[in-house]
Amino acid sequence: MFDSDAKKSDIFEKFEKIGQRAEAVLSLGKLPFGMTFDEILSPTRALVNGREIILAGTNNYLGLTFSEAVKSAAIDAIARQGTATTGSRLANGTFREHIDLEEDLKTFFGAKSAVVFTTGYQANLAAISTLAGRGDHLLIDADSHACIYDGCRLSDAETIRFRHNSPEDLAKRLARLPDEGARLVVVEGLYSMLGDVAPLDEFVAVAHEHGAYLYVDEAHSVGCYGERGRGLADALGVLDKIDFLSGTFSKSFASIGGFCVSRHSGLDLMRLVSRPYLFTASGSPSNVAAARAAMGEMMNGPDLSRELMARAHQLHAGLAEAGFAPASPPGPIIALPRPDELTAVREWNQLLAAGIYVNLAVPPATPHAKSLLRLSVSAAHSAQEIDAIVSAFRDLT
Amino acid sequence: MHSGTDQKTIFEDVARVLSARSHTQAAIRPDTRIGADLEIDSVEIFDIVMELEDLYNISLPVEAASDIDTVQDLVAKIGQLANVR
Ligand SMILES: Cc1ncc(COP(=O)(O)O)c(C=O)c1O
Repeated sequence: MFDSDAKKSDIFEKFEKIGQRAEAVLSLGKLPFGMTFDEILSPTRALVNGREIILAGTNNYLGLTFSEAVKSAAIDAIARQGTATTGSRLANGTFREHIDLEEDLKTFFGAKSAVVFTTGYQANLAAISTLAGRGDHLLIDADSHACIYDGCRLSDAETIRFRHNSPEDLAKRLARLPDEGARLVVVEGLYSMLGDVAPLDEFVAVAHEHGAYLYVDEAHSVGCYGERGRGLADALGVLDKIDFLSGTFSKSFASIGGFCVSRHSGLDLMRLVSRPYLFTASGSPSNVAAARAAMGEMMNGPDLSRELMARAHQLHAGLAEAGFAPASPPGPIIALPRPDELTAVREWNQLLAAGIYVNLAVPPATPHAKSLLRLSVSAAHSAQEIDAIVSAFRDLT
Repeated sequence: MHSGTDQKTIFEDVARVLSARSHTQAAIRPDTRIGADLEIDSVEIFDIVMELEDLYNISLPVEAASDIDTVQDLVAKIGQLANVR
């Protein structure tokens, strides 16, 4: 080792403020970020410090992570193809099952083309940055997920934000644009923080009127809305009018990976030029097999989205009755805005002590600098578990 | 829509919007730094920009917003966009 560790400038200095904020949070109990689950027992139960808790913040909307069909598909894939692909889709990382998964996605969504990525984050990063190039315009909802913003940063197009869920504001901004260049409007289906949904039918109309393409990230809404969980666009009757639909395998699909499907065949050309597609290894055989099996369950198994919505309504009503004001109407994501960050942290700790895990969401990850307790419902939650969650909220002091 | 797009009017509008969101007592002058002096963070600046976009009927690309450091940077950017159309 060196005698002295003198550097020109302290590279960690920039994290000082966030470090202080984390310490203030930690002084109230456990650090709610990056918490460790010692053991996962089921889609709705885990062990933390030797104690069994109910999970109410997992994005495991359909509870398929423990489905026998999904688990055995993943195990079988490992047995037949090994644990990893050890390469990029363009080189040695495309196995038969990656292609089969893309074919399944085309069938599921009635799309002309489908591309599978290693994560949903990379799907948005890849598709957005590659579709919109120099001279084009990206119009994104102001409350977009970080990976949509990052996709825009990686793109050579100009990015313009419009007010959250406002087709009127989008129309105004589209009307201001010059005639040259393509226009790509990017919105989400179900918003991950506040649990509100986009008026996709209205966005379709505005995009059409202004000659723009519409890109919808349905990371949270696939599995939850629409016929057989095809998503919000399907539920609103506009699936065939969406130009690009992206999503993730990390939530309802009980795996990891991401995808983009399109009614245009041109999407396939992206494979040759998109950096987040080219320069990373492809999803492992077990991940791909699990995603396919989960999609199979969604298409042919019992309709889990109905059970999910029934539980969502139960939880929403229970929390409202207990005096809380959910940010949005009943849905798979239920967000409760709290007065400030420290109250939210204190309540988060109380809930954990009562055996309930929820998500804590604080700025800048949340819109309008809100501090939230965020719950996500699973079709695997029993009615009794929902009651137990409500009861823990009622006991908050 | 706003009629006057001279620098002075823009500065007044910018100062008004910024002072409503500032987290410090720092005076708002052209060379005031929005982040360092007013402690307005990058997420808040987006909301401020939206308010000003509505006022001037312009769209300020996200890429341009990240180049803005001082009050004058913001005033100049708005002036540039508002005068084009
Ligand atoms: C709206 C949205 N898009 C994309 C993603 C990224 O998905 P993944 O977890 O597969 O990277 C997420 C999940 O965090 C999300 O909430």
